[in-house]
Amino acid sequence: MPPSSPSSPTTGFLVPSAEKVDGFPRRSMRRARQRRSHSSSQFRYQSSQVELTPLPLLKDAPVAELHDLFCKKLQQCCVMFDFLDCVADLKGKEIKRAALNELVESVATSRGVLIEPLYPEAIKMISVNIFRTLPPSENPEFDPEEDEPLEASWPHLQLVYEFFLRFLESPDFQPSMAKRYVDQKFVLQRAHVQLLELFDSEDPREREYLKTILHRVYGKLLGLRAYIRKQINNIFLRFIYETEHFNGVAELLEILGSIINGFALPLKAEHKQFLVRVLIPLHTARSLSIFHAQLAYCVVQFMEKDATVTEYIIRGLLKYWPKTCTQKEVMFLGEIEEILDVIEPSQFIRIQEPLFKQIAACISSPHFQVAERALYFWNNEYILSLIEENCQVILPLVFATLYRVSKEHWNQTIVSLIYNVLKTFMEMNSKLFDDLTASYKVEKQKELKRDRERAELWRGLEEHQERRMQMLTEAARNQRNLQERGERG
Amino acid sequence: MDAFKLMKELRLNYEQEVHYLPKKTGLSLIASSVQDDGRISAKCRDARVEDLWSLTSFFGYSTQTFVLAVNLLDRFLAMMRIQPKHLSCVSLSCLHMAAKVTEEECNLTPSDELIRIGQCRFTASDLERMEKIVAQKLNFKSFAVTALTFLHLYHRIALSHSADRKETLSLEQLEAQLKACLCRITFSLAKPSVLALALLRQGIEAVRSEDMLEIAYHIQKHLKIADSELLLWSERVARCLSDYASPECSKPDHRRLQWIVSRRTAQNLHSYRNVPELPTIPEGGWGESESEDSCEDGMSSGEESLSSSLGSDAEGPYFPLHLHRQKQHLRVP
Repeated sequence: MPPSSPSSPTTGFLVPSAEKVDGFPRRSMRRARQRRSHSSSQFRYQSSQVELTPLPLLKDAPVAELHDLFCKKLQQCCVMFDFLDCVADLKGKEIKRAALNELVESVATSRGVLIEPLYPEAIKMISVNIFRTLPPSENPEFDPEEDEPLEASWPHLQLVYEFFLRFLESPDFQPSMAKRYVDQKFVLQRAHVQLLELFDSEDPREREYLKTILHRVYGKLLGLRAYIRKQINNIFLRFIYETEHFNGVAELLEILGSIINGFALPLKAEHKQFLVRVLIPLHTARSLSIFHAQLAYCVVQFMEKDATVTEYIIRGLLKYWPKTCTQKEVMFLGEIEEILDVIEPSQFIRIQEPLFKQIAACISSPHFQVAERALYFWNNEYILSLIEENCQVILPLVFATLYRVSKEHWNQTIVSLIYNVLKTFMEMNSKLFDDLTASYKVEKQKELKRDRERAELWRGLEEHQERRMQMLTEAARNQRNLQERGERG
Repeated sequence: MDAFKLMKELRLNYEQEVHYLPKKTGLSLIASSVQDDGRISAKCRDARVEDLWSLTSFFGYSTQTFVLAVNLLDRFLAMMRIQPKHLSCVSLSCLHMAAKVTEEECNLTPSDELIRIGQCRFTASDLERMEKIVAQKLNFKSFAVTALTFLHLYHRIALSHSADRKETLSLEQLEAQLKACLCRITFSLAKPSVLALALLRQGIEAVRSEDMLEIAYHIQKHLKIADSELLLWSERVARCLSDYASPECSKPDHRRLQWIVSRRTAQNLHSYRNVPELPTIPEGGWGESESEDSCEDGMSSGEESLSSSLGSDAEGPYFPLHLHRQKQHLRVP
């Protein structure tokens, strides 16, 4: 088989060149690649592997022994197993799984189970199980939208997460007690993998749990809030400016959405800075499509909280407007529509000029989806009312583009949409429309005149050149004649 | 062309115009009728004429095409009682007929494109049949005397008498104003010569030219147009034009247009209207203040840098130094 291209060092899986399109492996090939389970790389094999002995069931335990038994089971669950080896320790794995299940049930249903001494044990068990170094992506061409690598130890891991969640949501849960153990180090600690770093997991099920868990942690442990916000900031900033890699952006944004929604008014400066320095630049990420819905939601929430941020948002989006990626352009246009849906008229006036200049540019895009999306704004009643109020400013900005594109565009749907837009404008203010039509025609005439004059100029030059050539050949001929006569005579 | 010839042509057209007038009784019936499903009303005729103007403008047809189309339409409607559902077919066929005799072949839009852009439901063959019907009923060959005919003649007469004033009286503007008037059915009840004269006069009054006013008077006398008639239509024209020129924008009738997009765009249209699953977390909620966390102190004002506003851990390794430099570019404007 021919060697794979140097840009894709696949681990022992060579892609024949026939399967490549323009040098990149086809999507179908990538999907067909064996789904590899991820190792939990930091499972710790105790040198003397502890044998788990099955303990009595929690539901059968007398009340006096319940907490002790609970604690023992927690400790049992601190033993880690290797799931890459499917046949190893089957008995032990089952004991742990059953124990975890029981613990989940117990916390979910019984009251009075969570007493203070259990808190550190519970947190320890959780930490031991979930805080592990995420293996580096084995697939360098990992496509977050298509490939879904699965965590090998999910049978246990899922129950640990479930336990954590029920623990947090239990009516007996005491934040004042928990905060001693669920502290800043639990959230994030240098050179360790802690809660926030786990969001980089490639397994979406894990991220889903983490999202809900962090949401509850943020909600209940008020002392951690500022720290969590700051660390999320840093993760995003690193993502934007350094690595462009982080799998949990969408989940974190979803949590942020619920936080932004709850901001008190007036908005603190810290939050506004977050919007301008983190959320807006997030739009430049190459993988925007994965988290755009959540990002747009956050942006719109900000606007609903405080209308004065509108200008920052729109100018920011215009500054980062995609220049070569049309898929992103369509996303941006969708976001702009959502923003316009909630914008205040006084804010609209401040940004209408640069905004509609960009919209005009989108209308003239040769990519039909971009043009369509931009034209479809005129189907939005609220946006239409904003345009109508500011018709004098907006119509001149888009008029020439609309006319020109209606004559030139290849796509019939676009031509129809442009007719709709022009007709809408005509009904809004016929005099302005007629004036613009007249001046457009005048401009066109001037252009034609300029073209004619230019053509004339070139023609004149060519004629002049021809005449010169003629004169030169004549002169040369005369010269030859003289010479011949001279020779003869 | 010299003045004498112009006046003669004027006279000729004046004598001809009566042949191209819509029947008064038929037109009045429409003008006075209230909107109902059984018959054409003034409102629906006016809406159709506006559509014709949109199409004229969109396809780059001349005002002549538009005026001729409206003339044909009004004459046909005054003569035949048609159902409102056929009105769009009638109006479009008038436009197509007018375009065929006025526009150059290369600029002519094919009928199926006309129908598609006009968002009509009938076929090209329906259009063709309707054209034949209209042409036959009106005995239309290729010509009609319309208000535009007179407007052009008046304009040339006015200019030939005062050659240095070429710029002041804009023919284009007069044409646009004529178009605005024709969008209201009442003006089709006026004689084209009178309507055009009324327009000319208000245009002259707007530029305050005494000379041209005299010329207009001269024309009126030449054609023996009664003062009262001219006054009546001048008033109506003035009112119409003040509406036309008002800077207020009117709300367009949105529901009449169809907005069709490609499947891919349609799929992505409302993909963001998702209801978030996570419940809102109120800031500083549940009675407890966040004062326990020292990070909150001194944050609420000013242009603080990101690090200092986010608590004492700012010097930690998770806020690398080079990002401080980045912050310069991100300053809140």
